[in-house]
Amino acid sequence: MYIELKNINKSYGSFKASDNVGFGIEKGKLVALLGPSGSGKTTILRMIAGLERPDSGEIIIDGKVVNNVPASERGIGFVFQSYALFRYMTVYDNIAFGLTVRKQNKKEIKERVTELIKLIGLEGFEKRYPSQLSGGQRQRVAFARALAPNPQVLLLDEPFAAIDAKVRSELRKWLRDMIHQLGVTGIFVTHDQDEAIEVSDEIIVTNQGRIEQTGTPAEIYINPTTAFTSSFFGATSELTDYKAFENFDDIGEYDKAIIRPEFVKITKKNEQQKYKRSAVEGTVTDLQFRGNSFELTVDCNNSRFSARRGLDEPAVEIGEKVDVFIFRIFITQGNTVTLLKNNAVREETVVI
Amino acid sequence: MAAEKTERVMPREGSTEIHADTKGSKAVRIILITLSVLFLFIMLVMPLITVIYESFRKGFGEYLKAVTDDETVGALLLTLEATVIAVIINTVFGLFAAWAISKFRFRGKKFLVTLIDLPVTVSPIIAGLIFVLTFGRQSFLYSYLEEIDFMIVYAVPGIILATVFVTFPFISREILPVLEAQGTDEEEAAALMGARSFTIFRKITLPHIKWALIYGIVLCAARAMGEFGAVSVLSGHLRGQTVTLPLQVEILFGDNKYMPAFAVSSILMIMAVVILIVRSIVEFIGRRKGEE
Repeated sequence: MYIELKNINKSYGSFKASDNVGFGIEKGKLVALLGPSGSGKTTILRMIAGLERPDSGEIIIDGKVVNNVPASERGIGFVFQSYALFRYMTVYDNIAFGLTVRKQNKKEIKERVTELIKLIGLEGFEKRYPSQLSGGQRQRVAFARALAPNPQVLLLDEPFAAIDAKVRSELRKWLRDMIHQLGVTGIFVTHDQDEAIEVSDEIIVTNQGRIEQTGTPAEIYINPTTAFTSSFFGATSELTDYKAFENFDDIGEYDKAIIRPEFVKITKKNEQQKYKRSAVEGTVTDLQFRGNSFELTVDCNNSRFSARRGLDEPAVEIGEKVDVFIFRIFITQGNTVTLLKNNAVREETVVI
Repeated sequence: MAAEKTERVMPREGSTEIHADTKGSKAVRIILITLSVLFLFIMLVMPLITVIYESFRKGFGEYLKAVTDDETVGALLLTLEATVIAVIINTVFGLFAAWAISKFRFRGKKFLVTLIDLPVTVSPIIAGLIFVLTFGRQSFLYSYLEEIDFMIVYAVPGIILATVFVTFPFISREILPVLEAQGTDEEEAAALMGARSFTIFRKITLPHIKWALIYGIVLCAARAMGEFGAVSVLSGHLRGQTVTLPLQVEILFGDNKYMPAFAVSSILMIMAVVILIVRSIVEFIGRRKGEE
């Protein structure tokens, strides 16, 4: 493990920002710290950077405990949420700053800065001030500035939060490629699950100061292991009583039954369907166009949840009675999650 | 027609043009403007004209004689001395205080902010009295001060002290909001890259607060020059020694020397106008820099 956190605790007054946090990150990986606001993800990032000091526990970078190493000597580049570019310095001076304060010679600085400006594709913008750049350009400058002193670790605090949607997806890809190409270890903070899934090699899910789950995006999405992760990922809805739906095992007492839109199949009454026998009748209460699909809100067995329907399928209307079939349900008991599959599907697989 | 209407309802971005319904009727506008102009004329323009008229009533020669009088020149020099020292002290203090308040979290911060404003709310006369009581004959400090032969009350240090006191909040008050709006991100970023505190201050904080600081200095200087109350209490009116320009005006006026009193006033007035011009320039440049 290149970066390791062991039993980190941190409180602000009575607020526990980090509660026995521990995880490890391999060299060269791009990792997302994902959680709702106030879940302690930024605190973790700032502690790794050396901007905050943990109350207890160890932070290890490259085999060395760095708790008492000042931020500037940890070999870290940091990209702030608002970029924190020096607004009274040009793009060139911004990127050169980290090298200038280290008293490197002018020629080396010039070479490095020119190289970085080329890397971020902002040739010709050297003399501009941050206020004369677009959001995406600013982010690139912040990125180059953080990289200038050749850090081994790059930390990014909500790197895409201040950028408009179209540029954002472009930058996400750019950032991921760039970090892998440079071989640095990257950690970024985000509250956006799509962003975490799209950009990172690994996700660390935080909630209320604790680490909920770590794993690759696919692992976490498909197999959530805690009550929190199962409801955090995807556009989840809750069923009031899952036992009202047929063909699911009864596992006794439970806290929540959680489904995602992709767990649900909505069929019109006159449409052909595979699981007609196990389907339940529901009513469409709302319908929203989502560009690539329709999002339906369905009332069924006293529950209200969302489902999707493709644009190529026959249209449904608000108030229409439809057949609802649920493939899977996450059942939480305390902090554990069980994935229940619809037995109708299983039986059929057996038959085939 | 419709197009014209839309255009009027939706002003250009960034323009301050407001809708007629919000602005109020023409009559209201005329009344308000007339009242303001009238008020300004009676309260400001007329007195200023009177001062100039009275100063020059006996001719330019007499004016020059009054202005170059030894006591007046002494008073002018003392005023400038007190102003310069007050500006320097308050700049240093203002920077430190604003820095401490905006960048650190500590106990009693709110109290400190309130305390900085105190000199503006306390009557200058009372401010003067506070120092007389603290450093004057009744004070236990007096014997020590006498021993080292450092007189504060009825001496120049007292005048400077009073000037510093009344102009205390001007600079820190100007810098504080700017520092607070800026936050600590840029400084943190610089520190992360290994910049020392002084480098951070010089390269990041100072450029940011520069215009607010200059504006604060201008305000502080203006106030310092015109200070009367607190200085009057601490001065003792020793002619040619502890008399500043405003006090000199009072003395001349008390001696029924009206023309010289007005002539000396005109010096203060010129200084005020100069400061006003400097202020406008600073504001103009500062705003343009801010827009960049």
